[in-house]
Amino acid sequence: MTSFHLNGQAVSVDIPDDTPLLWVIRDDIGLTGTKFGCGIGMCGACTVHVDGRAQRSCITPVGAVEGAAITTIEGLSPNGQHPLQTAWVEAQAPQCGYCQSGQIMQAATLLLDFPSPSAEDITAVMHGNLCRCMAYIRIRKAILLAAPQLRGSEPT
Amino acid sequence: MNKIVDSQRAAASPFSRRRFLIVSAGTSALFGFMRPGFAATDVPTPKMFEPTIWYSIDANGAVTVSITKAEMGQHVGTALARIVADELEADWSKVQLDYVDTDPKWGPMVTGGSWSVWSSFLPLSQAGAAGRMALIEAGARLMNVNKAACSAQGGAVVCGLRVISYGQIITQSNLNRVYTADELKQMPVKQPADRHLIGYEAAAIDIPSKTNGTARYGIDAQIDGMVYARPKIPPTRNGSKVISVDDSAAKSIKGYLGNKVLDDPSNTVPGWVMVFADSYPAAIRAADAVNVVWSAGDTANVSEQDILDHGTALIADKTGGVLVVDDAGIDVAFSNAKSTLEQTYTTSSVLHFQMEPLNALALEKDGVFEIHCGNQWQSLILPVLATALGVGEDKIVMRTYLLGGGFGRRLNGDYIVPAALATQAVGKPVKMVCTRADDARFDSFRSPSVQTLRMAFGEDGKATAMTHDATAGWPTQVMAPAFMAKGVNDALYDPFAISGANHWYNVGAQRVRAISNDLANHAFRPGWLRSVGPGWTNWAVESFMDEAAHKAGVDPVVFRLRMLDGTGRNAGSAPYAVGGALRQANVLKLAAEKAGWGNSMPENTGLGVATTFGQERDMPTWVACVARVSVDRQTGLVRLEKLTLVVDAGTIVHPDGALAQVQGGALWGVSMALYEGTEFTAGEVADTNLGTYTPLRMGDVPEMDIEFIESTEAPTGLGEPATTVVAPAIANAIFAATGTRLRHLPMRPQDVLQASAKLNA
Amino acid sequence: MKRVFIGFLGVVAVIFIGFFVIAWRPSIAPAPLPAANSFSPVLVAKGAVLAGAGYCAVCHTASGGQPYAGGYALATPFGVIYSLNITPDPQTGIGNWSEAAFARAMHAGVARDGSYLFPAFPYDHFTKINDDDIQALYAYLMTLPPVNAPAKADTLPFPFNIRYLQAGWQLLFFHGGRYQPDTTKSAAWNRGAYLAESLSHCGGCHTPRNAFGAEEAGHEYAGALIDGWYAPPLTAANPAPVPWTRAELFTYLRTGASDVHGTAAGSMSPVVHTGLAKLPDADIQAIATYFSDIDGAATRAVNTGTALANAITASAQSGQPGADPDAHLYENACASCHYNSATPPPAVRPDLALNTALWLPDPTNFIRVVLNGISLQDGMQGVMMPGFANSMSDDQIARLAAYLRRTRTNLTPWPDLQAKVAAIRAQGPEASQ
Repeated sequence: MTSFHLNGQAVSVDIPDDTPLLWVIRDDIGLTGTKFGCGIGMCGACTVHVDGRAQRSCITPVGAVEGAAITTIEGLSPNGQHPLQTAWVEAQAPQCGYCQSGQIMQAATLLLDFPSPSAEDITAVMHGNLCRCMAYIRIRKAILLAAPQLRGSEPT
Repeated sequence: MNKIVDSQRAAASPFSRRRFLIVSAGTSALFGFMRPGFAATDVPTPKMFEPTIWYSIDANGAVTVSITKAEMGQHVGTALARIVADELEADWSKVQLDYVDTDPKWGPMVTGGSWSVWSSFLPLSQAGAAGRMALIEAGARLMNVNKAACSAQGGAVVCGLRVISYGQIITQSNLNRVYTADELKQMPVKQPADRHLIGYEAAAIDIPSKTNGTARYGIDAQIDGMVYARPKIPPTRNGSKVISVDDSAAKSIKGYLGNKVLDDPSNTVPGWVMVFADSYPAAIRAADAVNVVWSAGDTANVSEQDILDHGTALIADKTGGVLVVDDAGIDVAFSNAKSTLEQTYTTSSVLHFQMEPLNALALEKDGVFEIHCGNQWQSLILPVLATALGVGEDKIVMRTYLLGGGFGRRLNGDYIVPAALATQAVGKPVKMVCTRADDARFDSFRSPSVQTLRMAFGEDGKATAMTHDATAGWPTQVMAPAFMAKGVNDALYDPFAISGANHWYNVGAQRVRAISNDLANHAFRPGWLRSVGPGWTNWAVESFMDEAAHKAGVDPVVFRLRMLDGTGRNAGSAPYAVGGALRQANVLKLAAEKAGWGNSMPENTGLGVATTFGQERDMPTWVACVARVSVDRQTGLVRLEKLTLVVDAGTIVHPDGALAQVQGGALWGVSMALYEGTEFTAGEVADTNLGTYTPLRMGDVPEMDIEFIESTEAPTGLGEPATTVVAPAIANAIFAATGTRLRHLPMRPQDVLQASAKLNA
Repeated sequence: MKRVFIGFLGVVAVIFIGFFVIAWRPSIAPAPLPAANSFSPVLVAKGAVLAGAGYCAVCHTASGGQPYAGGYALATPFGVIYSLNITPDPQTGIGNWSEAAFARAMHAGVARDGSYLFPAFPYDHFTKINDDDIQALYAYLMTLPPVNAPAKADTLPFPFNIRYLQAGWQLLFFHGGRYQPDTTKSAAWNRGAYLAESLSHCGGCHTPRNAFGAEEAGHEYAGALIDGWYAPPLTAANPAPVPWTRAELFTYLRTGASDVHGTAAGSMSPVVHTGLAKLPDADIQAIATYFSDIDGAATRAVNTGTALANAITASAQSGQPGADPDAHLYENACASCHYNSATPPPAVRPDLALNTALWLPDPTNFIRVVLNGISLQDGMQGVMMPGFANSMSDDQIARLAAYLRRTRTNLTPWPDLQAKVAAIRAQGPEASQ
């Protein structure tokens, strides 16, 4: 039995400890915004927050998040209006959209660590998130749009 | 089995809905523990106006446009709805999309070839216009005014100061006018100057759901009582047979339910074994633990080099292949030539690697098989499924989902067959998901290709004749033979595998010979991959044009412009190719100018140019690209500094969506030029995941300058044309920077080093 | 000839009897379990802190078992030894041990019944514990809830399973006696030295051992492979590019992570989070004082700025496209979390150029962490790293290790990396516990 918080709600699951968190979130809990891409932690589509930091849920065993607070794309903001989400719409970033939950979750940690990111900061941190539609130009733009919003809303 | 112990179980299965719908405004998204979904439309409002199958308008004036195209990143729903709404004079904020399930009434369902806007523009415009006419007529009647004095705008009929909304018209009248196909074909459409949606910016309707987790892809489908399946993929794509299955090790895996050797009358997935479990992670583990012994097909030892060698031999055999262009006087021109040039170009296998691994959920309900997945060519796979299942096509319906990437992989619906066979065999809903490695091993990847081009030169370095022999695996021959084209000698060829060779340059006598690489066709299932043949034919044509220009001692832009003179068969014709090669010349000139063509460059830095007509002669999208690269001679690293692209695709319906397509398409070109490419090894692709397969990532993106030619000509395609110009532009730039000519894709640092070592030797 | 042989036997017999006489330890009579209220609560509380600082529970608690009830498997080069039950259960624990018996075990490595304890029980360090602390520890242990948990049979082969022979080991390697303060050093230094040398037995892991399993004299804190991890040198030989100053040591021992050294993984994690956790800051400062003296941080501190600058320069390469396929692997799989562009790098983004694991002579720690990750509870608590065991091949992890060693340090390459990865992978994630 593993207990954790998911998007603010207490959850207990009776699932083998070595089951990847990704499948628990998607199939057992039914939040499908977090995506399966490569299964080896190298595409970033499955990125969620574990205790506030971006993690690849496809290689995170559910047993490892005992007691942790997990946030998925569905829980990033109560109404889908997180500055990154509105920036993503403003920049018209998604194409097929499949990687974008992971991109946004990774970007949230990027802007936490680098509130005024340089182009190199964005590239280095986001390089681990593959976008097969190659919407990178707009993802980069959306991050730059969101950065001042986040700096404004969270005193640094 | 209820694995969730004390959390709120997510809401019920989403399959109460019939269709999936995306709305542009006014819908509250569901978050947190509510299962994401879209507004259900099971209960239509009583009053509904449905003048054609393409859209309906309800009593609130909400316009629901039926989208029969796959939504896979191109925002096609938005573009198509804008076409309808412009003619319909609808209120854009009340337009929503309905991505429909399969039904014969839609006609052929296929999303590929960058055809969607091109092929839908006129019919959807006419459908929209028809609705507008009917609404004006009804509105005028309700207002008791002459319809000639009325017009429509913003979702309402206006007569002087009087206004009646579409919703009011539908509420207050029994509007049931339905237009026949013939009536629609006669329907006049607006002049470009009267448009106010087409060509104007709009936010893509599908985007918000892709930022909050509510967008639903095939892999998100769930239904009560389903079991998960993962395939055991045989050692060869064709001809594998199962000898034995030993699942003793799998039995200790919690959740393992059993396995099934598929019996496939359609022969789509020979030698497949499906492994079932009550969760997908259990299915992954169980499939790893199930030991299958196969007798492999006869291609188990075929390698990439075998396929390339076979291609070389096919080209050397002058008797084979299909002549696509065959002008008189070729041989004379070559024998009279002042000089000639011959070069051979090759490309490696390329994986689709769409982000959403292949999957399909299948179930049988009341004698009808329901298929839940994303797919690009429903009309192609339905008869195959019918054969596989032994039922009529009317007993199969494909539910529609977003695609986590298409890029042509999902034109080939072969991945649906095993899920359908499995549900038939086990009598339960089956959700099959491929792991990434399964997906790669089962990919219908882009075939390796070999092409030999020759040019005869007369006086002043002018081309007098050109031949182009191209061979590769032919997807259309293998999967959709009905779509094969007839060559000049009536033999059939895959038009999508040769398009591009039949270019718009006037080169004197021209011969194009398309040759099917039967070894490739047999060893794997060659696929359509973003831009298909033009992805390799233009690699050859545009690299060769550069080599020819240098041989002739003429600037590569000037050399091309001389031949893009828009005469003879390259003059172009209505409706889609008005202006012909002169439009190609135009984009080329503009791209060269914008990129600073002719300026002096720093050391080891160079500009390279390429231009194509996109994909097909009857739907030309004129594209030119200048690449600026710098090459590190020590490491062979090619740094792509900038791409300048100019595109003429006629009328641009959804400009920002068009830009996104050109950005993504061009970057796909970069990726295949520099970073991708796998190798067929012992009957399989060598790279099956991101540890070794390395598509372009954010750090690899060059500066990009993209411009569209303003035009009111008929719209053509945009999803793929930009892909076709990039690789040759980069190769030509590498040549300009270093004098090193690369003739194989991808161009990796070691290739640059080897080629320059050869040059210096 | 025969006479000579008999004479030889006689000599052997004398030696044997002599050894027996010298080695023989008397049993100490069983004593009734003292009443819990016979110990002052202050003494018990003090004992609890000390027991933490001595990590008693770490070794005396089986995985998933009752605290202090023993049964924890220690994999030694000689075989598996199971720790004993030290709850006050009269039958299976130490419930009938008098304080004298307890003190003898701690100070001399002999159980109440006179049998020798294996030196896996670090009495070579505990011998330095002063009597007041022994008393407090006794008070704490005797007031624990008793647990009936019989000892598990060790898997030591003959002759290692003969406890009596431990007397020989003691003769050769054991030097009993309480901690003697160094009067030339400060009180804090001496307090740190006392804790480190006695109760916290830092040398138990950080000092290499000889073929008999004894800490090598003259190589104190020189670094050693133990329990599947490499315990880094705590001397001036520590290779970390940023010296371990008193402040750095304090932060690390208090929180489990240092911005410029990395996080406490493997067996060091419970040392920080369950062992030293209850010690007051002053004691942690004392330990930091002691080791920052031993490692000569004061004389090396000048290098810090350069090391930080080098690290950020190396890290910034992750933001640039390059030709190196190993770099791509790193950028695709690692840089999202490990890239930095400003100094000092935050501890939540461990900078690998500064990470001790990359600078050690042995790649074990690096490989083990890449394979198995670091849990939320280990190292910096609340920050995890997933393991890549199922994501990367041996070759890929070896390439990553080589790449980082090549680009982040100025040290010689690690040899035989791929084989090392395969060997550590084969041990599985549990081997790191």
